[in-house]
Amino acid sequence: MNGLEAVVSAFADWFSCGVRFVLPVLAILIVVRCGLSLLQRDAEDIEVWGWLTLPNGSRVALRHWENILGRSGSSDVCLAYPTLSRRHAAIIRDMRGNWVLYDLHSRHGVRLNRDPIGGQAELHAGDLLSLGDVDLVFLPLTAEEETAQAESRTVPGRTIRPGFTLLLLLLFQLLLTLQHCIAADQADVLQISVCFFVLILLTWCAYLLIRAMRRTGFEIETLAFLLSSVGFSVAATSAPGFMWKNTLCLVLGVGLFFCIGWCLRDLNRVRRLRWAAAAAGLLLLAVNVFTAESLLGARNWLSIGRFSFQPSELVKVFFVFAGAATLDRLFRKRNIWLFVVYSGLCVLALAVISDFGTAVVFFTAYLVIAYLRSGDAATVILSVAAALFAGATAITLRPYIAVRFSRWGNAWADLNGYGYQQTRTMTAAASGGLFGQGAGKGWLHTVVAADTDMVFGVVSEELGLLIALCLVAALLLLAVFVACASRHSRSSYYSIASAAAVSILLMQVILNVFGSMDMLPFTGVTFPFVSRGGSSLIASWGLLAFIRAADTRQNASFTVKLPKRRKTENDQ
Amino acid sequence: MKRIQKRTWCVLLLVLGILIGLVLYIWRLAAHGGEWAAQPYNRSVYRNGILQSGTITDRNGVILATADGNGGWTYAEDISARRALLHLIGDSSGNIGTGALSVYADRVTGYDFVTGTYGGGGTLVLSVDAELCRAASEALAGRRGTVAVVNYETGELLCAVSSGSYDPANPPKSLEGEAYEGVYMHRLFSAAYTPGSVFKLVTAAAAIENLPDLYERVFTCTGSAAYTNGGVSCMKAHGTLAFEDALADSCNCVFAELASELGGEILSEYCARFGLTGRQTVDRLQTAAGKYTVFPDGTADLAWSGAGQAEDLLNPASMLRFVAAIANQGSSPALHVLKQSDILPFGGNVRLMKTETAEALARVMHYCVVKTYGADNYPGLELYAKSGTAEVGGGAKPHAWFVGFIRNEGIPLAFVVVVENGGSGSAAAGAVANSVLQTAIKNWR
Repeated sequence: MNGLEAVVSAFADWFSCGVRFVLPVLAILIVVRCGLSLLQRDAEDIEVWGWLTLPNGSRVALRHWENILGRSGSSDVCLAYPTLSRRHAAIIRDMRGNWVLYDLHSRHGVRLNRDPIGGQAELHAGDLLSLGDVDLVFLPLTAEEETAQAESRTVPGRTIRPGFTLLLLLLFQLLLTLQHCIAADQADVLQISVCFFVLILLTWCAYLLIRAMRRTGFEIETLAFLLSSVGFSVAATSAPGFMWKNTLCLVLGVGLFFCIGWCLRDLNRVRRLRWAAAAAGLLLLAVNVFTAESLLGARNWLSIGRFSFQPSELVKVFFVFAGAATLDRLFRKRNIWLFVVYSGLCVLALAVISDFGTAVVFFTAYLVIAYLRSGDAATVILSVAAALFAGATAITLRPYIAVRFSRWGNAWADLNGYGYQQTRTMTAAASGGLFGQGAGKGWLHTVVAADTDMVFGVVSEELGLLIALCLVAALLLLAVFVACASRHSRSSYYSIASAAAVSILLMQVILNVFGSMDMLPFTGVTFPFVSRGGSSLIASWGLLAFIRAADTRQNASFTVKLPKRRKTENDQ
Repeated sequence: MKRIQKRTWCVLLLVLGILIGLVLYIWRLAAHGGEWAAQPYNRSVYRNGILQSGTITDRNGVILATADGNGGWTYAEDISARRALLHLIGDSSGNIGTGALSVYADRVTGYDFVTGTYGGGGTLVLSVDAELCRAASEALAGRRGTVAVVNYETGELLCAVSSGSYDPANPPKSLEGEAYEGVYMHRLFSAAYTPGSVFKLVTAAAAIENLPDLYERVFTCTGSAAYTNGGVSCMKAHGTLAFEDALADSCNCVFAELASELGGEILSEYCARFGLTGRQTVDRLQTAAGKYTVFPDGTADLAWSGAGQAEDLLNPASMLRFVAAIANQGSSPALHVLKQSDILPFGGNVRLMKTETAEALARVMHYCVVKTYGADNYPGLELYAKSGTAEVGGGAKPHAWFVGFIRNEGIPLAFVVVVENGGSGSAAAGAVANSVLQTAIKNWR
C-alpha cells in the first residue's frame, strides 16, 4: 500500500512540474488557431446585395444592407452630381430581403417612380429612384445570385478545424482539472472535478448546438471558454467550496449569450426591444442606487437570498443593446441626444454608488458609441472634457479618490498601506515566472479581492505570464476581429454594438491589469470571463453575443440567419 | 456604412493602449522582478519573513550560509568566521542592512525571469575569502573597527570585515550596551571616521600637482605654528625637512602650511575628485559620504584640515578605492563584494589622478614604510603605506588608521584598516594590516 502511495505521490510531483509547460503551449496554440481562423478572409469575399444603374449606363454595387447615397466621398454610393446633397438618401435592406428607401433631409428631395416620397418608401426590383435630377434604377440580387455569392464567401473551419482547436481546449481543461485535484484539499476534490466536468460538458454542448444549427464558426466561443476555464482555475484555488456558484453563472452566461444572439438575428425585433432594454438598465441601476449594500468600498452589491451580485455588470449588456442603432436612426438628432442623456444617467448612478471603475468602463463604451454614431470628433472631445470636469468634482467630493490618485505609481513606498494589494500582485506575478508555480499552488488568492480585482496576478503566479498574456491576447483578438469584420458588416447596429461590447471588455482589461500592477489607479474592475464573480461572468458572455453578431462569414454565426432557409421561405 | 466601418477602427486605440501597457509591464517585470519577488511576505520563498532556500558561498565555494530546509539557516562552521562575516551575510531576520540576505535576496531566492521563484534557492558567490576575513577579525581581537583588502586590478574585495559583531547562529539576547554599539552597521561601508594623517595623502596629491617647486622646498618645523584662531602642533619639533620626510614623519606643521597655501577650495575639489566626499556604489551597497569643510584662509581650522583633523571625515571604503587608484597608476576599478564572472569583462576603471601623481605618491608611501614603519615589521611585503592617528577628543584614545597596498609579484592588493580608539596608527592598525596581508599572501591563488 505504501509502495502504491509513493508511486502516486511521485507521479503527482512529476505531473505538477510538467503540466506547467504543457498548459501555456496549449493556450498559445488555441489562441493562435482561433486568431488565424477569425482573421482569415478569402480575397474575393466582398458581399454585394444589389445594384444601381447610373444615368451613364454603368452599375454601382450595394455592398451592405445599409447604404448611404450622396455627393460626399464617404458615402457608400458616391454620386458626384451638383443637385445631390452630401448625404442624400439611404437604401436599407432587412432580414427578409425587403428594401426601404429613406430621404435624409436632402435639399432637392427623393422621388420614387416620379412620385415624391415622404420620409421613406418601400423599394422593389426595377424601381426608378430620382435623387435631385439624377435617375437611378434599383436592382436587388436575385435568389440565384445570392446563392452563388454565398458559395464564394469565406466559410470558417474549412482550413482550420474548430473541432481540433476544441480538442486542444479539452486537453487544457482536463490537465487543469487533474492539477487542481492534486493540489486541492481532499474535501474539495469532488466539487472541483464536478464543476470542471460541467464546464467541459457545456463547452461541447455549445459546440454541438451550433453544429446542429449548421454553423461552422466557433472561434469566438472557444476563446471565451478558454478564458472561462482559467476563471474556473482561479475559483478552484481561491474558493473551491463556492465553485458551484461559478458553474451556475457560467450556465446562465452561456444561456444569455444564446438568448441575445437569437434576439440579434432580427433587427426589427431589436428595434422593438431597445426601449425595454434601456428601461431595464435604468431600473437595475436605480435598484442599485437605493438598495444595494456596500462591499469592499463600492456600494454595488445586491443580495437576494444566498446570492449577491453586481447589477452594474448586467447593465453593460443593456447599455450596448440600447445604445447601438441602425443607420436610419443615426440621422435623427433626437436619438443621439436621448443616448447622451441615458449614458449620463448611467455614469452618474455609478458615481453615486462609488463604482468609479465601472463608470470609466461605461464612459468608454459611451465614447465609442457616440463616435461611431456621430463620427464627430468634437462631440467626443466635449464629452471627455465634461468627464474630466466631472471627475475633478468627484475627487473634491470624495477625498479617498484623491488619495488614490496621489499615491498611484508609488505602491512600493507604502507597501503595507495603500500599495498592499498592488505590491502583493507584483510579487506574486514575478514569482510565477513564465510558467507559474502550478495551478492551486499560489498564495496571492488569500489577499482580499485577489480573485476578482487582481486576477491577472493570480493567473501569472499560478499558471505563468504566458497564459496570462494569452488571456489578454484572446480579448485583443476579438477587438481586431471586430475592427476587420466591420468592412463586411451588414448593419451599423452590429458594427456599433460589437465595437461597444469589445471596448467594454478591453477597458476592463486595462483597468484590471494595469490597476493591479500600479500602472493606473487601482479601481477594482473585473477581468472579463476570468475574475471570480457571477454577474461579471454572465455579463461577459452577454457582451460576447454582440461580437458574435458581427461575424458575417458564410454560415459562421448563429446570430445570422441562413440565407438558404430564407430563400425557401421566399419561394413559398 | 462606409463611415461607420472606418470609425470602428477606434477600438484599435484600446488595443494599442493595451499593447503599449503590456510592453511597459514586461519591461518593468524584467527590470524589477527580482526585487518584487524578494519580499519577506512572498510565501513562495519566505516563511515568517525568513528565506526558505538559497546558499551564500565565499569566492572559493566555502558555504557561508545556507537554508537548512526546516525554515532556518546554518552559517559557517567556525564561530570566528561567523562573527567575521556577519555584516556581509546578514542574518535571516534582516537586522543587518548591508547583509547579502537582504541586499541580494533576489539572487539568493534563485529568482529569474523565466522560472520565477519555482524550485527556489539560488547560490550567491561573494568575492571575499572566508579564511582571510576570519584572520582579519582575529587580528582585530575584539576591538571595534574595520579591515578590508581589495584586488586593485579587479576591484574584488577579498576581505571586508566589520568588528563589533556577534554570532548569528547564537545571537545574544540583548544587543544593548557599549560592546554592541553600531553592531548592525558594516563599518567599512556605513561609517565615516576622522582620518588623521592618512588624509595627508590627499593634501600631498594636491601639493604635488599644484606646487611645482614642492620637491626643492626645505620646510622647518618648530613643533608648533600659529594661525589666526589657534595653532597647529606636532609631537616634537621635526627641524628642517624635505617633503618626503614631512610625510614619513607625518609632520602636522608642514601639512598645515601646505593646506594654508593651497586653500580650502582646492583641497575640497581634490576630495571630491578622489570620491572621498561622495558616495560610492559597491555592487548594490552605498558607502557613507565623507566630509571636508572649507574654512577661511589663514585659520587654524584650514591648517588642521590638511592634516586630517578639524571637521574631516572619511569613509574607509572610499579611502580604499583612493589607495587602490594610487596602486593602479591612478585609476581605480569599481569595488565589488560579489565574485565577478571570469568571462564577462569588468566595468571600466575610473581615473582619479594622473599616473605621475600616483607614482609620486607611491614612492613617498614606500619611503614612509622604509623610514618610519620599518620594513622588517612587514616581512615579505613590498609595502606602500600611510598611517593615521586620528584624535577624536573627549579624552578617548585616537582612532588608528593604516592604508596602503603591496606590489608583490602578481599579488595586487590594497588595504584599509581602522581600529577605533586603537591608539597609534602604525602600531595598532599596522600590526593588523601585516597579519592580514601575511595570510592573504599565504592563501593567494
